[in-house]
Amino acid sequence: MDSFSLLMQGLVTAMQPMILLYALIGVTLGTAVGVLPGIGPALTVALLLPVTYGLDPAGSLIMFAGIYYGGMYGGSTTSILLNTPGESASIVTAIEGNRMAKAGRGGPALATAAIGSFVAGLIATLLLAFLAPQVVKLALTLGPREYFALMVLAFVTVSATFGDSALRGLTSLFIGLALACVGIDGLTGAARLTYGVPQLMDGIETTTLAVALFAIGEALAVAAMLQPPDGMHKIKGSVRMTATDWARSWKAWLRGTFIGFPIGSMPAGGADVASFLSYAAERKLTKHPEEFGTGAIEGVAGPEAANNAAAAGTLVPLLTLGLPTTATAAIMLAGFQQFGLQPGPLLFVMNAELVWGLIAALLIANVMLVILNLPLIGLWIKLLSIPRPWLYGGILLFATLGTIGVNPSPVELGMLILFGVMGYGMRLYGYPVAPVVVGLILGPMAEQQLRRALAIAQGDWTTLVATPVSATLLGISAVFLVVPMLMRLRGRGQVLSQVAGDAD
Amino acid sequence: MKHAILGVAFAAALAVPAFAQDYTIMAPANPGGGWDGTARAMQEVMQAEGIAKSVEVMNVPGAGGTVGLAQFVASNAGDPTKLIVGGYVMVGAILTNGSPVTLKDVTPIARLTGDTEAIVVPAASDIQTLEDLVEKLRADPGSVSWAGGSAGGVDHIAVGLLAKAAGVDPTKINYIAFSGGGEAMAAILGNQVTAGISSVGEFQEQVKAGTMRLLAVSSAERLPGIDAPTIKESGYDVVVENWRMVAAAPGLSDEQVAKISADIEKLNASEGWTKMLADRGWTNTYLAGEAFAAQLDADIAATETVLRDIGLVQ
Amino acid sequence: MRQGSSPERRPRGAAFVIAAGLTGLAVMLLVDAAGLRQDGGYAGVGPADVPRIVAYGLLVLAGLTVLVGVKGDLPRPPRQAPAPVLWILGGLGLQLVLLHVVGFVLSGALLFGMTARAFGQRPLWKNVAVGLVLALVIYGIFDRLLRLNLPGGPLEMLIFRG
Repeated sequence: MDSFSLLMQGLVTAMQPMILLYALIGVTLGTAVGVLPGIGPALTVALLLPVTYGLDPAGSLIMFAGIYYGGMYGGSTTSILLNTPGESASIVTAIEGNRMAKAGRGGPALATAAIGSFVAGLIATLLLAFLAPQVVKLALTLGPREYFALMVLAFVTVSATFGDSALRGLTSLFIGLALACVGIDGLTGAARLTYGVPQLMDGIETTTLAVALFAIGEALAVAAMLQPPDGMHKIKGSVRMTATDWARSWKAWLRGTFIGFPIGSMPAGGADVASFLSYAAERKLTKHPEEFGTGAIEGVAGPEAANNAAAAGTLVPLLTLGLPTTATAAIMLAGFQQFGLQPGPLLFVMNAELVWGLIAALLIANVMLVILNLPLIGLWIKLLSIPRPWLYGGILLFATLGTIGVNPSPVELGMLILFGVMGYGMRLYGYPVAPVVVGLILGPMAEQQLRRALAIAQGDWTTLVATPVSATLLGISAVFLVVPMLMRLRGRGQVLSQVAGDAD
Repeated sequence: MKHAILGVAFAAALAVPAFAQDYTIMAPANPGGGWDGTARAMQEVMQAEGIAKSVEVMNVPGAGGTVGLAQFVASNAGDPTKLIVGGYVMVGAILTNGSPVTLKDVTPIARLTGDTEAIVVPAASDIQTLEDLVEKLRADPGSVSWAGGSAGGVDHIAVGLLAKAAGVDPTKINYIAFSGGGEAMAAILGNQVTAGISSVGEFQEQVKAGTMRLLAVSSAERLPGIDAPTIKESGYDVVVENWRMVAAAPGLSDEQVAKISADIEKLNASEGWTKMLADRGWTNTYLAGEAFAAQLDADIAATETVLRDIGLVQ
Repeated sequence: MRQGSSPERRPRGAAFVIAAGLTGLAVMLLVDAAGLRQDGGYAGVGPADVPRIVAYGLLVLAGLTVLVGVKGDLPRPPRQAPAPVLWILGGLGLQLVLLHVVGFVLSGALLFGMTARAFGQRPLWKNVAVGLVLALVIYGIFDRLLRLNLPGGPLEMLIFRG
């Protein structure tokens, strides 16, 4: 049988009422847990996986697919409405999404995120179904030097676009890079900046930093305002997307999908990197640059599509090679094994029915999610009409729940408070908080890939530009870095005074 | 105050009927890893087989399990309902991190499963046998890049042992640590490194599909169903097993230890566990009591020596 | 992140404090890097190199921040009310200290109550009572149903084990 008829057969199996019910339960649970701030997809899947035990393979698989995609969907809601991302891949969503919410456009922001996730999920799942073996072959040709070049590109594009002051954006990024140094050095095992505290040995947890900077920092900043701005969360206009919103979103969805899927497929990629690159791309390509930083819909549509496409992309190395490239994927691998299914190069041949069943399940879960989530937008928006004392009390309770549930140590809670205060201070003086998290995520990746590449080449630095891919990526980075500088030099005199004068 | 809480906890524990005791298993790692998988597999089987009424899994990640171990010892002394999963990696981590809490501070119950290490090369490599690889290593240690798991972990230790047995300075090996099995495997498949080392299970499907060549395994005897010599029979006296174990809290009475040991033995003998191991591709290496304690001591001593040789422990 | 601010062009103390903080962070990195065994292996780049580069970057940024401070270009934050900040930090601090003593529910209820108080809701006891109900529901769902292990105390024992 060819791929298409196998897929059709899978879809027919999945159309039974009981199976659809399981799918509904899966997506509901996944969304419900995924939506909580501080609880990311890995924890969601780990918590909910046992729910699928004991069902027959078809039911279990579909519930599983629902939980996985549902967990990815849920992350954007609190990012947009409450400026508290539940996972690292939703951080950039918070930047524009929360601005939109504050301008009373939370409804369209949630809608573009949901529909973008649907479009991306649909396209990426189909790409997974039909192109996985080819994609993975390409992904495997990339090694540490290409990944290093990709990280450099991510740094250059991302740091050029964050915030309204180059100096303050870079400062935030460097604070993140400094925090990234904490912990055991992955390549030599040397302990850096741990001061003998064992909890620091694995470095600073991204979720802890993100929750602290965003959720706690935001709560402190809002609480400390003497005169709360009137009705900053009031909904103006429709909760639906306007024709303009659609027109501006669809290209961003597609771009996000085509950035997210390949990066998710790479063994060292990831949904967070994909969302950063998508945000940077939207910011460069937009026709409304003035809206970025004040709530541009492309800045929500692109990254949300990208992180969902990356989630589907993660399944490429998992299903074709048995490579779990993220924590979530590793947990899913255990889930597959309960059916005696061993992901690996022979999976598509040996377990064709199960694989196509899973892909069909993912497609159905994706449809169900958009059906479930669009009506829910009205309900989520109501979250904002909860009186502020209760709302922020709840946010802090959930924010700490995520940390306590994963790692209930006083050190972790202490860091939460410390970084929360830092987030508050940064808000006071106009320092953007997102680049700190970006630095924490990208810093160690870049460092480790660089050192791996050099170790493999035994210290020969030319290895970094020895392949066409790495050379091209580094070349593009250099262009992005140098061209704006030249333009500034020609246009407005000294770079230095420009950097300094950017402050307002 | 702490004692009061322990008292309450103790009273509550006693109130539960003794035949089906509740357990809380600590996995000293993040969800998704091997220890977490072991703990969750135990949870599922113990509940399904009625060995325990309710089993909770608790993740305390950090520093190769030493953060979890320290917390386990500090807060659970004398509590017979608490278990911790651990393994060979923890032995190394305790040494490299200079952890003040060691495996001497817990009550080892049994070794449950084990993974054998395997040395592979990409299918396109011109290296055909372990002897070819060792020759290359002797000629120029730097030219042989090894992809494996974290620095100081079991993969790194195995490479160090092999180098030493082959008469190569273990500090000269070009070991490239990757985080997580997936990334290391991708580097091997993509021909980025000379050789790779990880558990046999991780490579098995690739070897079957012909994308990697299995040169040798680290067990004492050849493994059934796997067509590769042991490192030992190739002439290098190296045997490494990445085992996983379960331990109980310190300060238990003999009866309490006996009860836990009996429950774990029941787990090991159950059909559900056998099926679980088969599904996951884990080998049952059940070993309990005195024999396990002796093996643990021997492993700790040997690991300390090799970590000094590699230069990871001063 | 953006605050309604009216830039006044005169030297700003805050900029110097920020610059000092960045310098302090850089010094921490450099001191720690100096204590590391610099073992680059075959890569030639060892564990101390990246922290050093980051530290030099921070020093440059600290210098530029001083420059900005002299020119008075830093946004001026609106006046802040210190009491709510202290209420929230107090709630977080209490949770940190009490979590393993009284359990998730009680410490969570206190955090909730004090946060609500920070946003002007009184009386405190009523806030804590609301928080107690919420925390109990959360504990019930996550610890009991989903088996996420949350630290329990006497209250959790009483309600869920009794």
